Amino acid sequence: MHFIRVFQAGTLNAFADFAATYTVRTWTFAWLGRIIAQVVFFTLIGTLLGSPEQQRFLLVGAAVMAIVGEVLFACASSTWERRAGTLPLLVASPGSLLAVFAGRSIQWVPSSLATSSVCLLCVGPLFGVTWSVPSALLLVVVLFVTAATTYCFALVPGAAVLNAMDLRNIVANVIGALITAFCGAVVPVSFWPSWIGWAVNALPVTHGLRAVRELASGGFDVLPHLGYAVLTAAIWLVVAGWLLRRLAERGRRDGTIEFGD
Amino acid sequence: MRTLLIGCWYQLLVLRRSPADLMALFVVPVNTTVFLAIMQHADRPDLAGHAVLAPGLMALWAISLVTCGELIDAERWGGTLEALVAVPARMLPLLTGRIVVVVTASLFAFVESYFVALVFFDVSISVPHLGVFVVSMLATGLAMACWAGVMASVFVLARSARIFQNALGFPFFVLGGVIVPVSYLPDWLRPLTNVVFLSWSSDLLRDALNPAPVQDFGFRLLVLLLLALAGGGLGAYLLSAVLRRVRSLGTLTYA
Repeated sequence: MHFIRVFQAGTLNAFADFAATYTVRTWTFAWLGRIIAQVVFFTLIGTLLGSPEQQRFLLVGAAVMAIVGEVLFACASSTWERRAGTLPLLVASPGSLLAVFAGRSIQWVPSSLATSSVCLLCVGPLFGVTWSVPSALLLVVVLFVTAATTYCFALVPGAAVLNAMDLRNIVANVIGALITAFCGAVVPVSFWPSWIGWAVNALPVTHGLRAVRELASGGFDVLPHLGYAVLTAAIWLVVAGWLLRRLAERGRRDGTIEFGD
Repeated sequence: MRTLLIGCWYQLLVLRRSPADLMALFVVPVNTTVFLAIMQHADRPDLAGHAVLAPGLMALWAISLVTCGELIDAERWGGTLEALVAVPARMLPLLTGRIVVVVTASLFAFVESYFVALVFFDVSISVPHLGVFVVSMLATGLAMACWAGVMASVFVLARSARIFQNALGFPFFVLGGVIVPVSYLPDWLRPLTNVVFLSWSSDLLRDALNPAPVQDFGFRLLVLLLLALAGGGLGAYLLSAVLRRVRSLGTLTYA
């Protein structure tokens, strides 16, 4: 119960931050426009290849990768909390650090859900990715699970960069690019050596993407994929909690809670 | 000239202490992997040149947008803009020197993508028209530096420059044809793509990798240089207008 109360307080912080960053107009024209351009950019590579099938494959992959790129902003927004100087108070309080940081960057989940939904449901049909009403409804649910579980993963690099805040954007961008390369967004996972296939199975987004591709191909068998996404996300959440506890313990020991960078 | 060189030297010192300013260089190897994987999976080795050039052009644009775009604003946040405006040295050459260093450093992205292709994909990119390639690359760097000056000035007036930095990447990668030539875009976009210098750069650089003779090289280079000139002129005008505005409004610093 206490965990949930602290988490809710963190979410209030997150949405206040979001409202301070974006207006409806800048989110729609600047951010959503940028994401649509990103998806079109990858989709056009399919056009260059002269393959409508590749075009559809790349569009779906790029739209799901928009979620990854956005929830990885958790790396930056976690450091904003530390930059605000609140970490000593958070460490001194009885509340869980994981609850604080899990709430603190939650704004990226609904935002990425909205951008990826628009890309798949509105831009998709322009390039031959079509949806029936039931599949469109289920798609939104699948995208939500994908965004939420990928967010659990993003909390891990978010916690890790609290010790090296200048690296926050580098870490987020490199991880985002690696996921785009290897988790089946641009080429099937089977294109890569088998050990890469094993490694990316540990990422929730790999399973979320499979679920979206299942829906895009007219199937509805998404539950196993979502199950794996939730399972892997739970593991990443535990890792994030451990990293944050370690940050606090180390900070107490060597006096780096206030100035850890 | 001395102010310009001081700007260069100062920016070199800044870059040494803040590698995050060249963040896009860290992503270049992975982007090269992404694009080459797509081409190899589709069995299109003829498009390897597109895959190798694109990450370089994207990094060049991204670094200019983020790092050069924030040059003036960073001085403002640091409280040093007042002093810079008050000293007798002119701001434009100082800023130009700093931008030249950032743009030159970001050209390293092309070297990175070349070696990633060679080492990890066993793809060797040959340059049949080396002269065209080198001249086009220099002209691209010049154009980027000129347009980076425009961004540096505009971002001073923006409520949140970060929003625009995030927004101006991929739309320009599409309109600039960094991987897919603009000839694949709808005709109604042609007036827009024609004024985006990246579209001329990327076409020229790709043609330099193609064994076929490069068509209309002189004319296309001239257009690229004219667009660079337009960016330089606009940047210089905006810089003086922005400085005049923040001086008269008393907003040289945020305090």
